[in-house]
Amino acid sequence: MSYFNLKKKISEIKTTLNESSDFSYRCYKKNGQELGFVFLKSIIDQNLLSEAVFMPLQTFDEKITIKSLIHNIIKCADVKKIKEEDIIKEILDGRVVIITNFSKEIISIDLFKFPSRIPSEPPTSPVIQGPREGFVEDMQTNLTLLRRRLKTENLVFKTYKIGSQTQTKIVVAYLKGIANNKVVEQVVRKIKSIKTDGIVDSYYILSYLEERPNSLFKQIGNAEKPDIVTAKMLEGRVALIVDNSPIVLTVPFVLIEDLQNSNDYYTNHHYSSFVRVIRLLGLLIALVAPGIYLALQIYHYNILPLNFLITIADTTQGLPFTPFLEILFIFLLFQILYEVSLRLPSYLGLATSVVGALILGDTGVKAGLISPPGVIIVALSKIALYTIPEQASQVTILQIIFIILGGSLGLIGIVSGFVYFLNYLNELDSYGTPYLAPYSPRIPQDLKDAIFTSPVGDLKQRPKTFSPTKKERL
Amino acid sequence: MKEIKEHTISARQACVIIVMCIFANKILLLPSLMYEKSKADAIFAILILFALDLIVLPIFFKLKQLFPNEKLYNILSRKISPFLTKLIYLIFSAYFMFKALLVFSVTYVYFKQQIYQDEFLFLAIIAFIPVINHATAVGLRSFARSIELLFSIVLLGFIACLAFSLFTQLSMPIFFISNAKNFFTTIYEHTFAFGDYIFLFLIIDKIQIKKGQEKNFYFYSLLGMGLILALFFLFYSKYQITSFMHNNALADILVFSVQFNAIGRLDIIAMLTVMVITLFQLEIYNYAFSESFLSLFPKLNVYYSIAVFDILFAILYYIFIGKYEILVGSSDIWSPVPAIFINYIIPLICLIIILIELHLKKRKKKDQTYLSNKK
Amino acid sequence: MKKFFKGCLKNPMVIVFILILIFFMPIAIYSPGENKNRGVVTAVGIDKVDELYEVSLLTFIPTANQTYKDTNSVISGKGKSVADAIYKAQIAMGRKVGLAHAKTTIVNEELLKEDVATHIDYLSRVASLPENTVFICSNKTAKEVLETSKTLESNVGLKLEQLIGFNANNLYVTDTSLEAFYKGYYSDVKSSIIGYLTIMDENEVNGHATQDENNSTASSKNSDGSSDSQGSGSGNNEGENIVSQKSVEQNSTGQSSGQSEGQAGGGGQSKSTSSKQILNQGEAVLLKNGKLVQKLSIEQLNGINLLNPKALNQIVTINDVKFEDKTLSFNFRIKNKKVLTSTKFENGIPIYSAQLILGLELVEIVGEHEEIKINTEFSEITPEIAKKLDYQIKKEFTDALKVLRENKTDVIGINDKFFRENRNSYLKYIDKIKEIDNFINFVNFKLSLIIQPD
Repeated sequence: MSYFNLKKKISEIKTTLNESSDFSYRCYKKNGQELGFVFLKSIIDQNLLSEAVFMPLQTFDEKITIKSLIHNIIKCADVKKIKEEDIIKEILDGRVVIITNFSKEIISIDLFKFPSRIPSEPPTSPVIQGPREGFVEDMQTNLTLLRRRLKTENLVFKTYKIGSQTQTKIVVAYLKGIANNKVVEQVVRKIKSIKTDGIVDSYYILSYLEERPNSLFKQIGNAEKPDIVTAKMLEGRVALIVDNSPIVLTVPFVLIEDLQNSNDYYTNHHYSSFVRVIRLLGLLIALVAPGIYLALQIYHYNILPLNFLITIADTTQGLPFTPFLEILFIFLLFQILYEVSLRLPSYLGLATSVVGALILGDTGVKAGLISPPGVIIVALSKIALYTIPEQASQVTILQIIFIILGGSLGLIGIVSGFVYFLNYLNELDSYGTPYLAPYSPRIPQDLKDAIFTSPVGDLKQRPKTFSPTKKERL
Repeated sequence: MKEIKEHTISARQACVIIVMCIFANKILLLPSLMYEKSKADAIFAILILFALDLIVLPIFFKLKQLFPNEKLYNILSRKISPFLTKLIYLIFSAYFMFKALLVFSVTYVYFKQQIYQDEFLFLAIIAFIPVINHATAVGLRSFARSIELLFSIVLLGFIACLAFSLFTQLSMPIFFISNAKNFFTTIYEHTFAFGDYIFLFLIIDKIQIKKGQEKNFYFYSLLGMGLILALFFLFYSKYQITSFMHNNALADILVFSVQFNAIGRLDIIAMLTVMVITLFQLEIYNYAFSESFLSLFPKLNVYYSIAVFDILFAILYYIFIGKYEILVGSSDIWSPVPAIFINYIIPLICLIIILIELHLKKRKKKDQTYLSNKK
Repeated sequence: MKKFFKGCLKNPMVIVFILILIFFMPIAIYSPGENKNRGVVTAVGIDKVDELYEVSLLTFIPTANQTYKDTNSVISGKGKSVADAIYKAQIAMGRKVGLAHAKTTIVNEELLKEDVATHIDYLSRVASLPENTVFICSNKTAKEVLETSKTLESNVGLKLEQLIGFNANNLYVTDTSLEAFYKGYYSDVKSSIIGYLTIMDENEVNGHATQDENNSTASSKNSDGSSDSQGSGSGNNEGENIVSQKSVEQNSTGQSSGQSEGQAGGGGQSKSTSSKQILNQGEAVLLKNGKLVQKLSIEQLNGINLLNPKALNQIVTINDVKFEDKTLSFNFRIKNKKVLTSTKFENGIPIYSAQLILGLELVEIVGEHEEIKINTEFSEITPEIAKKLDYQIKKEFTDALKVLRENKTDVIGINDKFFRENRNSYLKYIDKIKEIDNFINFVNFKLSLIIQPD
């Protein structure tokens, strides 16, 4: 009694897959026993298929059973029995499905293969000294990179498939016994609740994970390097690895995280502290410098020292724009140049900088359209922005807000705006963690690795900020 | 219905709030106002007022100990009568409203003189009010955290102002020149600028005080008071008899003598410090107003209290518009009586409640021992 | 639309952003730089001319030349009061007056005939004139000082406040700031001391003795005087504002400021075509109740400053010193100084004792000195020199004291010191003599000197 009419079944599968051109099958007959191999040739390793499946099958002389197929014939690590309704899903996952005319059971072999790049240093987080490996698009490689660093049974990977069309795998990774269970549960709950047809990159799931998706402020951490993710997991955080994305997300997120850089832990801690202060300063300059310049120019002439005042008054005399429009003009000019330089091929980059910096800037000043202090202030704030590139997008929006506030209300506007955003951020919690911790609320023990940092050896306790289950680093 | 978010704050956050309250109304105009009657002896006047304030603190701790998670409103309604409590809370609302108005007016006059020079009332109101309203809406925890975050910077700014003032010529102010009548009148007239712990009573249920943290309150209080005393001392040392002319103490001690003029305008430090302190103070008073208002009308939500605050603020400002100096100048006439009631009578009532409660507890314990002995 | 509003309500940040855009953006776009509507005044002069007040403002006029030099012009207005005059000047300037950067306030002697505080009070309380500005008086009108000073920077590279600032440190020593004036004015004795600048025509200056090395002079040549600007400014005696229109025009058209300096000074005021000099002879004036009572010469000022430990570098000259059969004059410089003072009442008489420990350095010997080596033979102060120095210094002090006593102007803080140290006796004594400012006349001064070679 035959269980499957192979031809009929294969044709059914083919129809379900819309007779896709990469659909392929092969039938094998021996002693009245028929085996059908169904797969998508675009995503499987065909060499491995012939070596690990067909060759042993040909040399096998006994009667073939499902048991012998799994245990004796197929030389692959990942072989499993599947249900009939899962056939399509398995094929799409890059597996070879075997159906037979002698058994109701169906076997699936993992022969998934797709072109993957070698882990290399990510462009956004280069280090002077320290590991240079970065995550790649292949999830398996990413998991390997993490597993290689955390050789412990406590490292847990929980996989979920999200996206009705993309069926993207999302792995929730954490260290059991260290990460706070409540956070893990919350993350899992949120991931399970995602209803969408496709996840293309890890950033697609951000809005599902953030507590306030509409907020201007980033609430989920991200990293492109396994060493950073490892360190974060050791602090008790949870990582989310999304298939096809080299960006790994981490929760909970605190603002101070972006001031820290993996490089800080690979150099002298005194220097790290200094660099972090510079970054903070950079952030502040980026945020308020144009706004303060406008405030001084429009409202607070009297607090400028006379010599400085003379310079500003002389240079802005005769400009066709009001100070606000001038700064906005330079700001937009810079933003346009930035966008252009991002998208232009690298060989045109030089041309852009020449046109942008020399021609537009210099000629603009000479033509009396913009003033040199204005150019300096905007350029300074724009350069300072990239002391913390992770925050660049939101700080750019804040820059505009502070420009408007400074231009319309002066210093009071800037201070009010600053306090407003501070109150807002203090209300913002990321998975039960205060956004501005460990400074507000002040968590004294976590100040060892905040703006000022202690030697790594002194960090004997995990940050209290993330409420880890196990507090000591042992 | 949205209520003020019920989050607790830590002892440290409560401490920094107290320092902000201690700074309120004292860093700009008060030194000059107090000088008018009691000359440099004003320093002793504020010492006495601070001492009176400090006495309130143990009462607060004892009350917190006896009623750890209970609102002051509930305690008072139970122990005295609900009607009287409502009356007290009505006075509270007015008290904090006027404190906010006074802080705003004093700072406004300062900004007007120092920065904007022209009328900018509209600008100041639209810059401040949304921020303090937002702070009230998001709740005590968020703005307490903000104050905690900026506390060290504010402190640094304050100390920098004091330190830079040392670069100019100073001479010891002359003490003991005012007579007793003037001295005590000064104390009486300026009571409203003190009474900084009353806010703690209002949020007694929202503060988490662990064992041994009480001393932090004393430490921070003394720090705040010490800075105010130092400011008064330096201000009187610098200006002496012309102190009455200088209405913005913290900024005026930075106005350098001729030799230092070339450095530039260091008073921007004072300016930023004053701005931040004022914003925080207004946030505290707006919140305090909302808290007392919502106790009076428990069915309303926080947005109503904010709206009422804004409307009252606008109306009162409309009345005083262009005459904010009158508001400030007349404060010594209208403010002392309610200030004495809130600053000292309310803690006194609390003290009586504590004593009765302790007495009852003692008797209960006695009864229990008696009963167990009898058994 | 409904969806949009719902979305906005969900997101307070969007609401905030929209509110900012609606309310604040238009103000921001509209607001011009403050230099467009506020003139930056670096020095203020107040004169009283023909029963009218004239306020002159040395105003910085920004020019789009990117040389970053302050091109100034003097803009003035006349009125029945200082406020009125400033208002007129404001109209002439076409901008509001910003006094926050004013570093110097000059008044003429005429104004000091009445209580000057009433006029200055308006400036410092209402118009935000900083109290740390230098406050000085001049023999000519303040306007002339400002006009002459305008060319100082381009010709000599010296600013007015620097010229006076040097003296404030080295000559007057006591602050000559507005604040210092107020301190004296509001004190019980109502006396203050302020600096004095002399304006002289060049021919006058040539005849004037300038060998005193403490004098600092700065001259500026008014190339073509003020005749050019008479069209706009001359003959204005009815309280109209006088402005050197021509100079403003010239500045705005970007011509070199050097050319316009002469015209700017005009305003129909000074007709002289000769060049002028601002002469700082280290003089000062004594004010009582805000009115001028006495002009102090540099010697008198030095005498007052003897009790001021910060006053150094003064020269003490003694004549007729016999040395190896020669008669010489010695000039000593006070290089360091220690002043110990005490007050007491002895038999009901207030006694002020001061001990001066002076470190003197011999700087010059006038006379036949070809064979004298200063460093070796004169390093010690001989008893004779010491005696002469003692006499000379005490004389200077007595002379100065005499002036103070005559005018009942205690600018050296005698009353204050007695009040601090012997309060009860002092108050009783004041009760007795009734006049608090006359106290200085009843005080017995005991000055002792210890002279050390440096």
